[in-house]
Amino acid sequence: MFLVAVIFLIQQFFWSIFMKSIIKNNFMLRKITLLLFAFSTLCATAQKMDVKGIVKDAASGEILPGVSVVIKGSNTGTETDFDGLYSLKNVTKGATLVFRYLGYKTNEVVVNSTTINVALKASAESLDEIVVIGYGTQRKKEVTGAVSVVSSESIEQLKPTRIEQALQGQVAGVNVTASSGSPGAASNIRIRGISTNGDNRPLILVDGNVIEDLSVVNPSDIESINVLKDATAGIYGVRGANGVILITTKTGKKETDYKSTLNYYVGFQQTTKEISLLNATEYALLANEAFAANGESLPFPNVNGLGQGTNWQKAVFDSAPIYSLDYTLNKGTKKSTYSLGVSVLDQDGIVGGDKANFNRRNVKFNYNRDLTDKLKLTTSTIYTNTNKKNLIENALGSVLFNALNMPATTPVYDANGDFSLPPAIGTGIEVANPLAQVDNSYNRTWVNKISGSYGLNYQFLDGFSAEARYQYNHAKVNVKSFSPIAYFGNGSVFNTDVPSVNEYSQTYKDYTFDAFVSYENTFDEDHNVKVLLGTSVFRSQGFNDTNFTQNGVLGTDLNSVSITPGAQDNLALSNNPRQFFDSRLLSYFSRLQYNYKGKYLMSAVIRRDGSSNFGPKNKFGFFPTASVGWVVSDEAFLEDSEVINNLKLRASYGIIGNDRIESFGFVSLLTGQGTYVFNNQLNYGTALGAISNPEIKWEKQIPLDLGLDISLFNNKVDITADYFKKTTEDLLLKPQVSGILGVSAPGASAPIVNAGSVVNEGFEFSIGYNHTVSEDFKFSANYNFTKLDNNVTFVGNATGVIEGGSFGVGQQAPSRMEAGFPIGYFYGYETNGIFQTQADVDAHATQTNAAPGDLRFVDTNGDGTITNEDRTYIGDPIADITMGMNFSFNYKAFDFNAYAFASLGNEIVRSYERNLPLTNRLSYVLDRWTGPGTSNTSPRVTTGATGNTLFSDFYVEDGSFLRLQNIQLGYTFDADQLEKLQFDTVRFYVSASNLFTLTKYKGYDPTTSNGSPIGGGIDQGFYPNPKTFLFGVNLNF
Amino acid sequence: MKKINIKILSAIVLLTLGFSCSDDFVDVKSQAENSEDYFNTEEDYQNALIGAYDLLQSSYINVMLGEIASDNTLAGGESATDVIGIQEVDDMTHTPVNVQLRDIWGWMFSGVNRANYILEFKDNIDFEGKEEILAQARFLRAYYYFELVKWFGDVPLVVDQRILFGDQFNVDRTPKAQVYAQIESDLIYAADNLPYTQAESGRVTKGAAQALLGKAYLYQDKFDEAATVLDNLILNGPYDLVTDYDTMFEMEGENNIESVFEVQYSELEGAGFGCLQCSEGNVAVGFSGIRNYSATPGSEGDIFSSGFSFNVPVQELADAFEEGDLRKDVAVLDIDAWAAQTGITFGTGNEHTGFFNRKYIPRKRSDAAQGDRNLTNPNNYRSIRFADVLLMAAEAFNRSATPNDAKAQGYLNRVRQRAFGDMMHNITATGATLTENIFQERRVELAGEGHRFFDLVRTGKAAQEIDGFVAGKHEVFPIPVIEIQLTGNRWSQNPGY
Repeated sequence: MFLVAVIFLIQQFFWSIFMKSIIKNNFMLRKITLLLFAFSTLCATAQKMDVKGIVKDAASGEILPGVSVVIKGSNTGTETDFDGLYSLKNVTKGATLVFRYLGYKTNEVVVNSTTINVALKASAESLDEIVVIGYGTQRKKEVTGAVSVVSSESIEQLKPTRIEQALQGQVAGVNVTASSGSPGAASNIRIRGISTNGDNRPLILVDGNVIEDLSVVNPSDIESINVLKDATAGIYGVRGANGVILITTKTGKKETDYKSTLNYYVGFQQTTKEISLLNATEYALLANEAFAANGESLPFPNVNGLGQGTNWQKAVFDSAPIYSLDYTLNKGTKKSTYSLGVSVLDQDGIVGGDKANFNRRNVKFNYNRDLTDKLKLTTSTIYTNTNKKNLIENALGSVLFNALNMPATTPVYDANGDFSLPPAIGTGIEVANPLAQVDNSYNRTWVNKISGSYGLNYQFLDGFSAEARYQYNHAKVNVKSFSPIAYFGNGSVFNTDVPSVNEYSQTYKDYTFDAFVSYENTFDEDHNVKVLLGTSVFRSQGFNDTNFTQNGVLGTDLNSVSITPGAQDNLALSNNPRQFFDSRLLSYFSRLQYNYKGKYLMSAVIRRDGSSNFGPKNKFGFFPTASVGWVVSDEAFLEDSEVINNLKLRASYGIIGNDRIESFGFVSLLTGQGTYVFNNQLNYGTALGAISNPEIKWEKQIPLDLGLDISLFNNKVDITADYFKKTTEDLLLKPQVSGILGVSAPGASAPIVNAGSVVNEGFEFSIGYNHTVSEDFKFSANYNFTKLDNNVTFVGNATGVIEGGSFGVGQQAPSRMEAGFPIGYFYGYETNGIFQTQADVDAHATQTNAAPGDLRFVDTNGDGTITNEDRTYIGDPIADITMGMNFSFNYKAFDFNAYAFASLGNEIVRSYERNLPLTNRLSYVLDRWTGPGTSNTSPRVTTGATGNTLFSDFYVEDGSFLRLQNIQLGYTFDADQLEKLQFDTVRFYVSASNLFTLTKYKGYDPTTSNGSPIGGGIDQGFYPNPKTFLFGVNLNF
Repeated sequence: MKKINIKILSAIVLLTLGFSCSDDFVDVKSQAENSEDYFNTEEDYQNALIGAYDLLQSSYINVMLGEIASDNTLAGGESATDVIGIQEVDDMTHTPVNVQLRDIWGWMFSGVNRANYILEFKDNIDFEGKEEILAQARFLRAYYYFELVKWFGDVPLVVDQRILFGDQFNVDRTPKAQVYAQIESDLIYAADNLPYTQAESGRVTKGAAQALLGKAYLYQDKFDEAATVLDNLILNGPYDLVTDYDTMFEMEGENNIESVFEVQYSELEGAGFGCLQCSEGNVAVGFSGIRNYSATPGSEGDIFSSGFSFNVPVQELADAFEEGDLRKDVAVLDIDAWAAQTGITFGTGNEHTGFFNRKYIPRKRSDAAQGDRNLTNPNNYRSIRFADVLLMAAEAFNRSATPNDAKAQGYLNRVRQRAFGDMMHNITATGATLTENIFQERRVELAGEGHRFFDLVRTGKAAQEIDGFVAGKHEVFPIPVIEIQLTGNRWSQNPGY
């Protein structure tokens, strides 16, 4: 807790002085740095030198800091400092020094002089790379599962504002979609498809700590991201079924002087697209045509002079600034390492500007210390403060939805300079002036969060190691919103007559305690054994702290209004339990890893989990998994191959679980709403909540993975390929249940049942090519490819169908989960052109309201009438193929990186058209049917009743795309120029993100989705991911 | 040295496996009350009873559709496809796939379940006044079941226990007569254990129980039983007709002397389309409102507010009122005349007739009204008015095997005297003519109040009065097909669907 307090103090200190001054004054920085570290410079004393030297990269001649230098056969050793220098005292002559460095071949040198300079050769495929596999690490060469790693270099190149973006297209089998392009919006990460109708989020651990919301982590603090995609995730048992992402943050290196890194970028963001809409004249003509078609009088008897009218999209979209500044300071003594990072990110929205602002401030402090030779302390503490403002997004009546539907004939402002209103009739009650909406939007969500991870590792006997770790998160979420008096038009759903302020706060806290012992030894030279035995306790709680609403409050902005103390009941405390969830897990796990000569590898895991989400009958479960590997290239017949440097075959299989459901589904609680009026007063009673099912248990997933890793041509080419098949059974569904159970009562909901299964089967392939042509020119290219086939095999409710999503207004649910189809597939009418003549209509199956010019629905069941039963599969939101491509080169001081990703075979539903008589339309209607032979794709316009607005494949579009996600060009100043500046390296760069997207999709952004397994891929005016241009600088000093 | 290490080793193993906790660490008790451990105080019973009352508010859809299904009003709305389920019921083209019919099914059974929850635990503890709580619960169960048999005919009857998950595969549709028998028994118990007046307005009274019992008898053509209980209520109850029919449907007319049972609504809590049944307001009122109604503040027309123009009366209903009937202008708003008189503006929706259901359209709202204001209108629904009781009694006496037409005339004319403000319009007919007079009187007296469709059905007049009505089919509505599927595909559908 002491550390927490210190971090708080540092935070206060930093925002006021530090961040501003570091840019201006390097001297100031040094001074403050010293101050900050004054309390911890206990062990930084100079060493006596008997053997010393410098370690460099054999190819480039660059000095290598942090290289481990150990006297063979002892625990004595050191690391090279920032200048690549090391020194060791009292080294016996003739002893062997072992130089080890990540990504380089280990070098051994016999001591025969006092100066030993070493040049290390890079091992092109870093098989010695350390992979994090949960409760431990493993050399990449020995890994038997499908584990992907994203390094800090990739993250630096991508400049993501959120970590999820660093995974997008980078790792085969990992699909990332933004839930919105608005600043600070979360992304959906899906590992190897959608394996449940419920919560598909993978388990994410940052330094072993569960972090559900990645917005709290500054991407610059990340050392590596490891993704466990197959049965390897079984070490996390009942939480592993959606895959596991293990993130490690940067720590300092031992024996290094103060080393600072400062990264700054500033730029602006723009919309990638404006959807092609009708201008005022076109709009008025079309409206006239539609009214005339229904025999109504023309709304625009005179269209002369209407001209282009208002471009609502232009009015709504604006260029928005973004900047990010982070500073990291590392220091290492012989026994301790320190790393302190501070960062601030500020981003406005391309819609709403600062009304959609996101701001993140973050302090991270890692401190590791060898308390004794055998007892090591590791600590990591992150404090984050985020501020986010929200607009209504991706919904009927959201800002962009309205920008698309407001008539082009309506000006933004009326004659008095006030926001104009939509026409009194003909545009419905949801379409409002989008700028007025933005103007009247006042809200703020601010989160203060502290996350910590503290561990003690003790090495004892021979090969034993015991570790105890405590991790926690404590977050306070505050939300304040203000609805001023506002009038958006006649009957508008957004009209506010009574202004009100709402303020609420919630606290979320969780802790994880892990304790485990591992034993590692080699028997008879060849038998390498590693055993792990451990326990883990996890508890997560949520609390309602306050919730106040006050009516009649007048004000001009969020700061000018406040709740009068005592004016209103604390709703949170009177109506809801203060603690709204308490989820716990109690786990025991064991892992046995064995290999023979590093050639035949196996790993077996068993985990027993108890989850508070299940009733007494099914609280505990066992999750066994196993994997094997064969390093074929170590066999005699390949050992000397010139072509194949490494070849490993892998297989994994097991059972893992998913317990991510609402708590207490197994017991009937009084959480319903029972409110009635007596004496004209509201009386709050009690009522039954969700229907209970005592039989529920965790979802069971059976993952199979067959993979191979291969390195060719002097490790220039690396290939990884995996076939996988994940079968998830006992899916926890909330199926439709009979109304006689009272399921539609206020506050009631369907029970959770284990009644479904889904199979995700696919193939992943990634290839990387690295080539150092000369000292001046290096380049690399990477490509990954994932083919995914999702198929629901069983839905065990009475109808065999689970519905979800929404389309239009008051229409039947467009998305379904049903055996034989991909999860969340689109279910609607299939069209077959347009009725050209009345004879066409008469010849076709009976279709209500059909007239020439209307969409012709296919009578799929052939009963001669178009009914609900004719609806069928008309697409699905799951991509068949996703790809990522990365190309980079360095030429002298220049570096270049380009990165693209693609998605093929996913469909998106266009649901942002309100389709009312006087709402605006997309310009495709210009090619509509106006008489026989005029169009066979776009139906006629009319205000009369037609089936054209019913959900059909007319509204389903191909969402395939290829996006150039990022290109970046950098220039690094050479050492001579730097000496004067006292910097180690200085790099300037320009980058452009999301520069272009090749797609046929008409909407804003094919890469966004709300992430719902059933109901995803429906576009109600997605907030597009912006196109961003950045200028940045990276300083090391 | 080795000894120490072994000690440390054992300590760490113990720490690893023994430290954490025992398995009860994952036995978490919910903060929210467990429904099995409830009913330990009188307050618990009272609170659960409030929950059982709650679903009365969701019967707004029954009222509105009861009118739309009849010859009184059209569906209306924004367009011909606005809330398809309502449009279909209006046109008698409804099928077993109908969102609104499923709402009625689910919401009424929710009410049954909540009442049954109290009765399941009726013996948990004893305290003074428990019978009154149980009596209210039994009335509510009867109210919900009465709606269910009216709409769907035979429905599963479950008494004094919740229908728990899994039970849905075992219950069958119970013959209507058996459901009625339970309704009668519940209402007799309620009438026996409740007072005529309650301290709080909105509570079920003895009068409400008697009136609903009389109505249930009437629906089964048990005229003698109906006459007895209704006459008892008229003679002994504290009810009377209010003098001014006009004030009956305004806010100041709520819970007045004519109100025998009234569903209470409030505008003090917000509501949204996501959960219409959660609204504390009368959703039917906003749906029935004048589209885009706009009046100059403070002007004569500034007494109504906007709605969605559903449930619009037809000319035939306006014409059903006799010359001089003071009720006509209260029941049917001629919007063009009103606009001419007051200068208000309005929009026209689908099937615009020029009329609105004036008894239940949105009034001008108070500052305290929460949004979405279309869904939070506070107009109470006068479920059983004393005028209805008088007309039911008149009908029961007239249609009895041993008719008492004098008594029937007396009750009928009490209603007519208020309607015309004189004795000149008294009915003197007897026998079948009197029966027709009573039916006609029910139509105009209770216009817009949701009774018309079921009155036409139970009196055998639906087929002749309602366009598209098929005798032998449309007397009841289809069981939602999904509900048949979700209970295991065992139930037969109502005939004709």
